[in-house]
Amino acid sequence: MAEQHTPQLLRVTIDGIAVQVPPGTLVIEAARQVGVMIPHFCYHPKLEPDANCRMCLVEIEKMPRLQTSCSTRVTDGMVVRSNTSPVVQAARKSVLEFILANHPLDCPVCDQGGRCDLQDFSHEYTPTVSRFTELKRIFPKEYFSPLIETQMNRCVQCLRCVRYCDQVMDVKALAPAGRGTMTEIKHFGHHALDCEFCGGCVQICPVGAITSRLSMYEYRPWMLKRTETICPYCGDGCQFTIQQKNNELIEVNSTYGAGRNRGDLCARGYFGYHASTHPDRLRHPLIRRPDGTFREVPWEEALEVAGERLMGIKQAHGGEAIAGLITSRCTNEELYLFQKLMRVVLGTNKIDCSARYGHVNGIEPLRRVQGAHRWTVTFEDIVAADVLLLVGTNITETNPITGLKVKEAVKRRGARLLTLETLLPVRGSISNITTLSSCHIPVHPLGYGQAVNALVKAMIEQNDVAPQIREQAVEFYRTIESVLRTCSWEDLECDLGVSRYRFFEMARIFREAMRAVVLIGQGVLRASRGADIVTNLLDLLLLAGHHQRPGCGLGVLAEENNDQGAVEMGALASYLPGPVSLSDQAACQAIASLWMEELPQGPSATLPEILNQARVGHVRALYVVGENPLASLPPSFNVQEALERVEVLVCQELFLTETARHAHIVLPACSYAEKDGTFTNTEGLVQPVRRAIDPVGESQPDWAIFSALSVVMGYPIEYGSAKEIFKEIQSVIPRYALLGPAPTPPNVHQDVVDRYLHGDFQVDVTQRYTWPRLSPKSEKRLTLILTQSLFHSGKFSTRAKGLLRVQAEGTLLLNSTEAARWGLQPGGMARLSNERGAVSVKVRVLDRVPEGMAFFPEHFDHDIRILFQAEVDPLTQVPCWKQTSVTVEPQ
Amino acid sequence: MLREKHHQYIAAILKRYPVKRSAMLPLLNLAQREEGYVSEAAMKEIAAILDLTPSQVYETATFYTMLNLKPIGTFHIQVCKSLMCALVGADELIHWLEDHLGIKVGETTSDNLFTLSVVECLGSCATGPMMQVNDDYYERLDRQKVTQILDDLRRNGTSPLKSGPFMCPEPVPPSS
Repeated sequence: MAEQHTPQLLRVTIDGIAVQVPPGTLVIEAARQVGVMIPHFCYHPKLEPDANCRMCLVEIEKMPRLQTSCSTRVTDGMVVRSNTSPVVQAARKSVLEFILANHPLDCPVCDQGGRCDLQDFSHEYTPTVSRFTELKRIFPKEYFSPLIETQMNRCVQCLRCVRYCDQVMDVKALAPAGRGTMTEIKHFGHHALDCEFCGGCVQICPVGAITSRLSMYEYRPWMLKRTETICPYCGDGCQFTIQQKNNELIEVNSTYGAGRNRGDLCARGYFGYHASTHPDRLRHPLIRRPDGTFREVPWEEALEVAGERLMGIKQAHGGEAIAGLITSRCTNEELYLFQKLMRVVLGTNKIDCSARYGHVNGIEPLRRVQGAHRWTVTFEDIVAADVLLLVGTNITETNPITGLKVKEAVKRRGARLLTLETLLPVRGSISNITTLSSCHIPVHPLGYGQAVNALVKAMIEQNDVAPQIREQAVEFYRTIESVLRTCSWEDLECDLGVSRYRFFEMARIFREAMRAVVLIGQGVLRASRGADIVTNLLDLLLLAGHHQRPGCGLGVLAEENNDQGAVEMGALASYLPGPVSLSDQAACQAIASLWMEELPQGPSATLPEILNQARVGHVRALYVVGENPLASLPPSFNVQEALERVEVLVCQELFLTETARHAHIVLPACSYAEKDGTFTNTEGLVQPVRRAIDPVGESQPDWAIFSALSVVMGYPIEYGSAKEIFKEIQSVIPRYALLGPAPTPPNVHQDVVDRYLHGDFQVDVTQRYTWPRLSPKSEKRLTLILTQSLFHSGKFSTRAKGLLRVQAEGTLLLNSTEAARWGLQPGGMARLSNERGAVSVKVRVLDRVPEGMAFFPEHFDHDIRILFQAEVDPLTQVPCWKQTSVTVEPQ
Repeated sequence: MLREKHHQYIAAILKRYPVKRSAMLPLLNLAQREEGYVSEAAMKEIAAILDLTPSQVYETATFYTMLNLKPIGTFHIQVCKSLMCALVGADELIHWLEDHLGIKVGETTSDNLFTLSVVECLGSCATGPMMQVNDDYYERLDRQKVTQILDDLRRNGTSPLKSGPFMCPEPVPPSS
């Protein structure tokens, strides 16, 4: 063991105040600690010091000239004078005089006015009169961005935006063009900004040079009412501040250091907030007339009809004839209450949620191998990791903020990144995580099973198996070794198109890691037999001996904001809150006694099963909350038939979706911005969601609707607020959500791991490691894959006007070689067809798409869905349907 | 396309630097020699060669005044406007050239022959006023001489009055 070394503290005196700080601290940070605020523009704690604005000059004893406090690190005994030094004061005045020589005095029309660093410093330091009589510089405006408004005349050239775009986002879309005073921040020539639109440059600009166009001229900062809440899009769970004026959403931002995102946001978070207040929001409960039209009714009537008809089905056919679907976008409280309502009041176990679309493929293996249903690592562990393995995830587009942690680990801390991903490492207007990879193996979307096989095989064959496994779990690794012997390197190399030595290299790097984190994304989770791939990756962790090491672990990236919470709240088939498996009698009994209710004894049913049973008439009533199976699944799934067959369809929704149009009763629900509750993010942190605006129309929070419905149905489960439900959740799941700044990840359960290593692994080991050979690439067909776009999340974000300005339609993405091969022109149309149908789509060239493939964003799959065929995973019942093969012709 | 035409030269440039990005200026120079200016297509191509984004190449290209971002005429006239030349009449020469060619500084004649620029010191202070046309120096200029030079350039593409090239010295053969 290395000796625990306590870093020596250095003594510094700043403006006469003594402070002790660790070595390496910047003077400006040390000053902040004692309450001495040193004015600055270019310095930002997130960025490397640049010392270009000269605003933070201080006097340091025994050093010649004034020093920039943002780039000078403290030494022991240093004496710094900032506010107490007349020389420093004079220097600041001069710097400001230079900046103001060009900065326009348009504060009254500047959106930054009231929260502008330059305004504040001018107020503090400058004389009111300038000695400059020259004309101010004026930059001609070349274009108007749809989202990010630049007013270069206001720029103080601190380059924070440029450095943020490079160092944090790795996008490098902004550049200082020109030289001297005439430097302006531009993208590329006169071209419109084409980037990730993360809004980071808007947030980090100390003046009003870069502002948001969505809220231009609409407010003064002091008019805004702020509410801190959690982003409703992906599973990263970013904390942001919604700012509203007169109940209207004006702006969203995130304070430096706030939440798990530490103040960073992506396009969805920063520009996607208008989805909540879209004019199409449902404002009143609706009941369908016999002719198919809807009439508005008061809440009392809607609830009574819904309650009566659901209870009617229960009384006539039993609870098993009723099923419920809920979206993982709901809060934990609502998910919990929904499953309780379904089980206790309606007497059915047929409940499922949108975690079924993929997240469940990650949860089941984690429970089985590690005994934990959550990540055993946190975002901090990602940043601190020395080796990161990303499997099947275009993390930048699906989970951008987790992606930032990976970027930080690689770019700032020198971690080595290993990627198994379909994308090619080609740069483009949005960042590409595989370009940071030190070992990237391109994998066909159907080839993840084989690629993981190859990795495990490589690890075993080059004797990289950890000694403790070799000694204590001989059978485990011998069995895997013998199973993998049947899959030859020749076959793997032929199918994957990669030399075995690449896998040997990757396995070696992974084995040598001190802190290894594996992140798994949609490429694996949504694939057929995704759970097998995740289990095999957990085997890889075990073989490398990483499972016990602190800071090592495996994380599955949640697609929706509360996928993780939905699982934990028991809104998933065959699980009670906890999640407690329905087969665990004792635990179920404990929950029943807490609820003081009988639990239904009927079978549970997953989403595909519910729809199947509805089609054949076994499920007669369907309660759908925020889910839209008709638009989420391809027509070949026959959802329409199921919806038309059910006798009662109650939809609780924000919008009149495809599914809701078939409903008998439609109940208007509140969006995340109008209610209180909690979301659980992908790493398992429970975070508070707070009401920022009043409910739109007559809409109600989902939990309040469930509660009211239970009263109407005669089994009241009443709560006064979401907090009360949360208290009950904590009594059902002990220690759930000790709200805090970071999650406390569960430990790997050693007894579960031991059970797995000494027997449980054998149940399916042969089957898990056996994958069908990939069929050779067809010259006549193209593999079409539905992927997630950075600018959208599910279908919810397609109602956000900001995001629609960046991406309003789906385009077929393929590389230039492939486009040329099929005779397609960028911007032109292509006709895609297969045995299920034909559609026309617009073409865009994106060189990171591999040959033989084309991507299409799933958010705009309305027409293209007909080309896909769903296949239900036999093990986890996940409907897999995101790829198909098509022929292409120009149109 | 640069890569197709100068494949080996680019490989040789890249070999010179431990950090790829350092090859940016030689490549920009190559692009300018190819087309007379650095086109957007060239910047994109250089970005692809160096694993950068086009913005990062653009940033560098706009910093150096010697890199032209707009197409220029066949003959790029760069007149020194620094102190030494100014003392011996560079300003008048520049005005006279503007009148004579019928363009302003920074513009190109309609026949696409001449582009007029003013530049900082070209290191020929003892022989001012002076100008550089493409790679050639013309020194101790007066109106008559300049008229002669422009005529020669129009007619022959070069002029005997030149005193260069100094910018691209012939490689000196190694003394054995």
